[in-house]
Amino acid sequence: MHHDALPADLIAGSVQPANLGELEGADAVGTVGNASCGELMRLWVKFKDQDGRRVIDRATFQSFGCETAIAVASVATELIRGKTPEEALNLRAEQLAGELGPLPPLKIHCAELVEGALRSALEPSAAPPSAGSVGSSGPAGGSLLDRFLPGEGARAARARLVYLENDPPEAGPEVR
Amino acid sequence: MSAPATPSLGPEATLRHVLEVFPGAQRTLFRHYHIGGCSSCGFQPEETLAQLCARNGNLDVAEVLARLQTSHEQDARTWMSAAGLAGMLKIQPKPRLVDIRSREEWEAVRLEGAVLLTQTTMQEILGRWPREALLVVYDHQGRQALDAAAYFAGQGFQQVRCLAGGIDAWAREVDGSMKRYRLAE
Repeated sequence: MHHDALPADLIAGSVQPANLGELEGADAVGTVGNASCGELMRLWVKFKDQDGRRVIDRATFQSFGCETAIAVASVATELIRGKTPEEALNLRAEQLAGELGPLPPLKIHCAELVEGALRSALEPSAAPPSAGSVGSSGPAGGSLLDRFLPGEGARAARARLVYLENDPPEAGPEVR
Repeated sequence: MSAPATPSLGPEATLRHVLEVFPGAQRTLFRHYHIGGCSSCGFQPEETLAQLCARNGNLDVAEVLARLQTSHEQDARTWMSAAGLAGMLKIQPKPRLVDIRSREEWEAVRLEGAVLLTQTTMQEILGRWPREALLVVYDHQGRQALDAAAYFAGQGFQQVRCLAGGIDAWAREVDGSMKRYRLAE
């Protein structure tokens, strides 16, 4: 399957995704994926009461790397607004991809990642953490940003800063 | 200016060789094909490109190579020299500087006007910074900045650059009064 076969909407959705970032005051948070391969998806959900029903007011997400997962999450977080948790949980990966249309076979599991994050958020007991993966967690849990935050992590605690004096310059990358 | 010519690679090239020629290959393979990273979805250094493509839906080897080359050229265009950044900082609008080093390094030396990337500032950047603004990412010596730049680009930032050689290059080439350092484990 060629990358160029991806729907144009999918590519656009990954470049300018909607509902990106942490949702302050979220009522539920779900995380799925494997930190070591970058395939991580975290989804925040906030509810509201509407006509006597508890429905999803807003959902946001964070994801690393894969543009398909980002595009699907962008669409899915719009799609589930106004739905009850039960209605949202009934949506399958291909439905969450919505207007993006049928996904190339290699990309279907990217949509399943979104489905898993949604399930983790709305039905935490349904997505227990497995070996090597990140399971559901509350709003106080760690962040996907850990990979880019060496100052906040263990690496900083191990590294010791030593000042240099008149060291020879190191070769850097070619700059144009 | 075009990117420097790279050695030709073919279907029988090992992933080890591919990564030597295209250091950003792992990021490219994951971003575009969802390949690479962990033991379940990754690849072995001695696996050939043809084998990798065959077990991932019969990807077209030539297309994958072309994308690796394109990404490599894009990576090369992402670098900005310390002198180039110094020049950009003298005009308006100034680039927005993102420091991805540790807090300890940040407290030791930093570029004026930069923000340290933390949970809080990341949310601020993703939530409020204009996507069309020039964003320059820097680290200690230019070894991690490309990954962070790729992340920001993936979040819609249209002008993301990396400081070549990191803040160490800045200390060597622009500001001789800035202390240089190394990190000891």
